[in-house]
Amino acid sequence: MAENSFEPKITAFVCNWCTYTGADLAGTSRLKQQTNARLIRLPCTGRIDPVFIMKAFQNGADGVLVSGCHPGDCHYNAGNFHARRRWAMFKEMMDFLGIDNKRLHFSWVSASEGKKWVDVIDGVINTVREQGPFTQYKDINKETEIPVK
Amino acid sequence: MAELKEIAKELLTSGTVAYIIGYASEKNDKTVPFIARTVEDAEKLVFTHHSVNNLSVYLKRIKKPESGKVGLVVKGCDLKAVVALIQESQSKREDIYIISPKCNTVVSDNTKPWNKDNIASKCLSCEVRTPSLFDATFGEIETVELPSDEQIELIKKVEAMSTSEKWEFWKNEFEKCVKCYACRQACPLCYCDQCIVDKASPRWIDSSATVQGNFAWNMIRAFHLSGRCIGCEECNRVCPVDIPLSLLNRKMSMFAVSEYDYKAGTSIEEPTLVGTYKLTDNEDFIK
Amino acid sequence: MKDYIITAENIQLLVNDVLKQGWDVVSESKTGVNFNAIKDASELAIKSDSKPSKLSMKDFFFPKTEPLFFYRQSHDGVELVDASPIEKKTLFLGAKPCDAAAIPVLSKVFNWDYKDEFYNKRVENSVVVSLKCNYSDDYCFCTSIGLSQKAEQGSDAMLTEQQDGSYFLHIVTEKGDEFFKMYSQYLKDTQAENNKPVESKYPEPAVKFDQGKVKGWLDANFEHDFWNNLGDVCLGCGQCTFVCPTCHCFDIVDENCNYHEGGRMKNWDSCQLCLFTKHASGHNPRDGQTKRYRQRIQHKFKYYEDKFNEVLCTGCGRCTRGCGVGIDIGGIMERIDKF
Repeated sequence: MAENSFEPKITAFVCNWCTYTGADLAGTSRLKQQTNARLIRLPCTGRIDPVFIMKAFQNGADGVLVSGCHPGDCHYNAGNFHARRRWAMFKEMMDFLGIDNKRLHFSWVSASEGKKWVDVIDGVINTVREQGPFTQYKDINKETEIPVK
Repeated sequence: MAELKEIAKELLTSGTVAYIIGYASEKNDKTVPFIARTVEDAEKLVFTHHSVNNLSVYLKRIKKPESGKVGLVVKGCDLKAVVALIQESQSKREDIYIISPKCNTVVSDNTKPWNKDNIASKCLSCEVRTPSLFDATFGEIETVELPSDEQIELIKKVEAMSTSEKWEFWKNEFEKCVKCYACRQACPLCYCDQCIVDKASPRWIDSSATVQGNFAWNMIRAFHLSGRCIGCEECNRVCPVDIPLSLLNRKMSMFAVSEYDYKAGTSIEEPTLVGTYKLTDNEDFIK
Repeated sequence: MKDYIITAENIQLLVNDVLKQGWDVVSESKTGVNFNAIKDASELAIKSDSKPSKLSMKDFFFPKTEPLFFYRQSHDGVELVDASPIEKKTLFLGAKPCDAAAIPVLSKVFNWDYKDEFYNKRVENSVVVSLKCNYSDDYCFCTSIGLSQKAEQGSDAMLTEQQDGSYFLHIVTEKGDEFFKMYSQYLKDTQAENNKPVESKYPEPAVKFDQGKVKGWLDANFEHDFWNNLGDVCLGCGQCTFVCPTCHCFDIVDENCNYHEGGRMKNWDSCQLCLFTKHASGHNPRDGQTKRYRQRIQHKFKYYEDKFNEVLCTGCGRCTRGCGVGIDIGGIMERIDKF
C-alpha cells in the first residue's frame, strides 16, 4: 500500500461515563472528525486491562487510544487513579519492548468535552498515520494466518 | 549449618512447625529444595552458597498444614517474596516461621563451585544479606568480592536502542520460548488459581508457541509482575531457553522506584504499588 | 556399510554445498540452547565433548507449534485450506547419539494407529548425521537404557572425531549412503580399523540402573509409598517434557480464530501441567504433582515399553539438568533399582 493512501485502524478503549459520552456529544454537536477509530466502551478505565491493548494490536490495530474521566471525576471514585499507574507502567514496558509510544495514546476526556475528543482523536489518527502501518506486529501474526498462495 | 539443624530439630520436636521447607544436598555441591517433616529429615537440611532456589514459591504450592506453622528457610532476597505475599493477603505472617540466614551470596550455576565468577546476578546489587524480618536467624556475614553487574549494563544498552532494534532484540529472545511456563511456576508471585494464559473462553493469549503467542505471553507475564517482582530471578534461572526474563522485570522494578519510590517486598504494612495511588502521580503522558 | 574419512575443512565445504542445493542444515547452536538451521558453514558447532543443548532437536520433526489446516467461511459452506506442504530436505549434523536415538522411538507412536503425515514427511526428508559423544556428567545415563555414546539408532551416518582432528564417517543406512554418494568428492575411502577416535575426557555415565529391574518394580508398585513425596517439590512446569527428545504429547487448539476464519494448531503439551488431564466437569484424575510425576516415570519406563517394546527415554539427562528444583530422573531410577 502506498504511503499516502494508508489509513490507520485505531482502537479506542473509552469509559462509559466520560469519554464515550464526550464522543457522543461530539457527534450530536455535529463536530467533524476523522473516522478511523473504532470505539470500545467499558465501564471504567480501571476495567481496561492492558491485555485488551495487546489484543487490539494482535487483531490489526495500528494504534490504540485509551481514554476516561479526568482525575477526581471517576464514577467509581478511584478507577482512573488506579488506571493511571497501570498505564504509566504499561507504556514504559511497551517502550522497552520496542513498541513505539506514538502508537499508544492516553487521554482524559469528560462528558462535556466534545471538542477535546475531536482534537484528541484527530491527533492520534494523524500521529499513527505518520507512523504507517504497524507491520512489525502484523508480521508476527502471520504464522497463524491462512497462507497466501 | 549446625545451627540450622538445631533450630529445625527444635521446631519439629516442639511441634511449632508442621514441616520445614529448606535445602538438602544433592550430587556434588548442588542443593535442591527439600521438605523436612521429621527430626531425621532435619539432619539433612543445609544452607550453602548453592542454596539458590527461592523457597517461598512453595507457600502457595503446598497445602497448608492442619496444625502448626510452615517453617521456611529463606534468604533475605527471597524474603521479599514472603513480604509481598503477606502484603497481597496470600499468606499470614503468623502462619510462617521464618528462618532467615545471613547470606554470603549464592551461585549462578548450581553445578559449579562458588567463586567470584560464579555468583548469581541478583546478589550483585543485594542490600539484604542480613535479613530484617525473621523468627530465627543464623550464620555470619563475610566480605565477598563481587564482579561487575552486567545485567544493569544490558538494560542500559537495550534502553539506548532504537524502537525497531528493541523490537528485534525481544523478538529474537521470545522466538525461542516453548511455552513450558517454568517462569510462571517458579515465580513466588505467580499464584493465580487460573493463569490468564490458561483461560480458553475468551482466549486472551494464544497457547501456541508462535512468535505472536510468545510475545503476548511474555509481555503479559512481565506486566502482571510490574511493581510486584521482588527480583529473585527464578524465572531467569529456570527458563530452558535462556530468555533474559529478569531484564524486563528489573527494568520495571527500576521504573517503580524512580516513578513511585516503591520497592516491592520491603514492608508488610505498606500497600502494594498497584493496590494504591497518589493524587500527585505523574500524568505527563496523558493528553 | 561403508566408512570414510572427512576432514574438518571438508565438512565446511560439504555443508556449504548442501546449503547451495537448497537443503536446510541443522546443527546445535553456538549458544548451546537449541538446534538451529544455519545459513553458512561458519555457524556450525560440531563439538563431541559439549554438554547436550538445552532443547533437543525434536522441534524439527515435531515442532513446538504447527498448523494442521486453516478454515474460512465461503459462499457455499466452509473451505479448508491445507497448511503449507513440507518440502524442505534437511541435513542434521552433529547430533548427539541420544538425540538421534529419539527418532525411531518417536516414529513408533506417530505411526501407531493414525500415521502422522507431518512427522513422517519430516523424517523422510531428513538425513541425520550424528557425532560420537565424548561427554558425560552426573545426569547422563544413556548406558543404562541400552544406548551408548556411540549408539547408532536413528542415525543415517555417524561421525567420530579422530586424534588428528579429522572425522571418521561410518554410514549406517541406505539413506545415508545415497546422501554421501552425492558428496563423495569431500570423502576419502577407508576401513573400520583406521578409526582412531580421540579419547574422551569424561568417564562413562556414572548413573547406573537396570532398566529390566526398574520395569518390574514399576509393574507392581503403582501405589507404593515411594511416590508420595516424590512430587513434593515439583513446581509443575513443563520444562522436563519440553526439553525431552522423546516426550510427544500435544494439544490441538484453534488459533487466531473468529466466526469467519481460523487455523487449527498442534502444540506441545505436558503431562506435568495442571490442565493436562482436567475434565470439562472440573474433575482432575491426576490432581496433584505427585500423581503427575508418577505418570511421567510410568509412561517413560513402563507404559511405552508395554506398548512399543521401547523405553521412552534416551538417557540424555536434559530434564534433570534443566529442572529448577533439581528433580533427578536418573537418581530416581537408581533408587527404584535398589528396592
